[in-house]
Amino acid sequence: MTLYEADKGHSYYITGLYVEPSVTRRLQALGLNDGTVVKVLNRKKRGALIIQVRGTRLALGKHISSNIEVKIKEEGTTEDE
Amino acid sequence: MNSGEKKKHINVACVGNPNCGKTTLFNALTGSRLKVANWPGVTVEKVEGETAYEDTKITLIDTPGIYSLTCYTIEEKVTRSCVMDDEIDVIINIVDASSLERNLYLTLQLLELGKPIVLALNMMDIVKERGMEIDLHRLPEMLGNVPVVPVSAAKRTGLDILLHAVIHHYVEGMEEYILDYPEVIENKIAKLSVMMQAHYPTHSSVRWHAIKLLEDDEEVKKEHPIQVTNVADKSYEKEIIQCKYAYIEKVVHECLFHKNRKAAVTDKADRVLTHPVWGIPVFLLIMCFVFFLTFTVGDALKGVFEEALAIFSDGVTGFLAGIGVSGWLKSLIVDGIIAGVGGILTFIPNICILFLALAILEDSGYMARVAYVMDSVMGRVGLSGKAFLPMILGFGCTVPAIMATRSLETEHDRRKTMMVIPFMSCSARLPVYVLFSGMFFENYAVFAALSMYIIGMVIAIISALVFNRLEKGKVNDSLLIELPEYKRPNARTIRIYVWNKLRDYLSKAGTTIFIASIVIWFLLNFGVTGMVADAADSFGAVIGRILVPVLKPAGLGMWQIGVALLAGISAKEVVVSSFAVLFGVTNANSAAGMSTILENVHAVNPDFGSLNAYCLMLFCLLYVPCIATVATIKKESGSWKFTLKMLAFELLLAWSVSTLVFQLGSLLQGLF
Repeated sequence: MTLYEADKGHSYYITGLYVEPSVTRRLQALGLNDGTVVKVLNRKKRGALIIQVRGTRLALGKHISSNIEVKIKEEGTTEDE
Repeated sequence: MNSGEKKKHINVACVGNPNCGKTTLFNALTGSRLKVANWPGVTVEKVEGETAYEDTKITLIDTPGIYSLTCYTIEEKVTRSCVMDDEIDVIINIVDASSLERNLYLTLQLLELGKPIVLALNMMDIVKERGMEIDLHRLPEMLGNVPVVPVSAAKRTGLDILLHAVIHHYVEGMEEYILDYPEVIENKIAKLSVMMQAHYPTHSSVRWHAIKLLEDDEEVKKEHPIQVTNVADKSYEKEIIQCKYAYIEKVVHECLFHKNRKAAVTDKADRVLTHPVWGIPVFLLIMCFVFFLTFTVGDALKGVFEEALAIFSDGVTGFLAGIGVSGWLKSLIVDGIIAGVGGILTFIPNICILFLALAILEDSGYMARVAYVMDSVMGRVGLSGKAFLPMILGFGCTVPAIMATRSLETEHDRRKTMMVIPFMSCSARLPVYVLFSGMFFENYAVFAALSMYIIGMVIAIISALVFNRLEKGKVNDSLLIELPEYKRPNARTIRIYVWNKLRDYLSKAGTTIFIASIVIWFLLNFGVTGMVADAADSFGAVIGRILVPVLKPAGLGMWQIGVALLAGISAKEVVVSSFAVLFGVTNANSAAGMSTILENVHAVNPDFGSLNAYCLMLFCLLYVPCIATVATIKKESGSWKFTLKMLAFELLLAWSVSTLVFQLGSLLQGLF
């Protein structure tokens, strides 16, 4: 699944970045790599979402979030990473 | 590396992530002794300040906030060329302790440079507030023994220790620090280092350059054209970044305790402020409140300025008469300069409140949310939500707003944003609204003025939409922005911000508006026959009359308005100054001044009513921006063609909109 399809309040592992290279580099510099855990804090129905990653919050547009592959993190481990 | 004589004057660069409190720290260290300097070779303005520790003079250089030492954005390029400069002796890396994990990434990159670095651990109070703890012994150990100094930029604690560390570290020099990459990469770094050393024997940060070559960094490759393809067979950037973050995770694991004990306040505030439905209404409400305050509280305070100006003006008149100054000189000073410049000064309370509100919004962390909230609207016009931030700055002053478009990713987005920023009504247009809404709308003055801001914003968005349709642009949905924690705005930061803006305003009153007032006075008091008694015979009237046929359909067919609008291109406030000079009032922004102008306007044109006044306000909102803005747009876009096209568009739009409103309005007035 992609990050765009993710639900508010859940945590996910990143499994792949498929945005254009320039954006990928910036995301990597912000700490979004394979295996990084992100939590969806808020989202608009169709559009941008807010994630928590490495202790900070990022707002990502649909184009970016729909090109990030993620895998849901098991329940029960979401609170304490 | 720092052997030999030690200078008594050192250059220190402040480097850090955006929102790490860098500017607050910079202000705390340098006080108000700020100056803006142009960095050689770069067109970007940078802030420099002076401070001293014991007998060493320190020049601090503030750089744009960056996440990484790559060169993908303008900010990164500026900061990178600054820290790479041999003039820089020490780097202060400001780290937001409350988001250590992300901030340390830049730190690891800076450490590879091999320059002396001091870590300023900022926002320790927030760390404590959240119940987190940082092991201040282990942290420097894991970072190659760089000095780590906890500071609070807001409360100004730890600053002396920081400066001491800077001097001490500069004298001692840098210890070699190595983050070990996997063997494959280390081997390649070693090989590239040897090649670098062979080609550039005097080079100081060989390892950093070797790593950058492995990352396939464009600029480094350009500057060091050595054949590396046999070693750097592909970009190892991803692997190198992952190694750094893996190491950071280790550092955080060992040094940071009780992580994730919640920033409850931010999450609660965000529930309302970034709500999917209420986000936009809440934003509009906040902005309306800001402008409402600007007009009402500002107006309440202006009485003080009015009285002061009246006393001053009377005093000068009396003094000049007393020493027997000739009539023309008295007229120049009282009717020209005092009326032109003094009238503008009475708007200081409004300006202060506007900038105070903008400063609070910026410093609290709300601005970044606006980018998220407005992303869907902006996306539809082909811009990212981030483009809305420079537009909001445009409410203050268009010039810094145009410069702020640098944060946008593509040149195309920059130009489109630059094109619409002038429609965001800047503080210089505020006096025009205050004057004309005050004269013609009485009890509804606030609403008439407020409507200008809304109309400006709507026109900005509509024109961006039209451009997007014309070029068959797509929806832009590639927003990427960090949302900082909310924090209580820092009084000192806000004071410095407002003071700087106020100083700009005052210096504009002392230069541009001063000169414009003299020129206008000359144009209105002299004609082909020399000094004229009636302004209708003056040069100004001749020029103004040329514009009358053009302005007539918009309800602005008076030569006086033509002159005022023309003069207003020097600075928008000059429209008000011109009216003051034209109708001989010392203080346009007072009840007496307003009624005199009103009387005189009606003497010239009895039909000039509230509809005409509204069209005049509209025209001032939309027509060509001031000279300073035009120069900035030319500089930032690097194209005269673009700048001229933009001016033509704005002039045409201003005329069309005010004509449309006037014609429709007249029609409606005829019906009822």
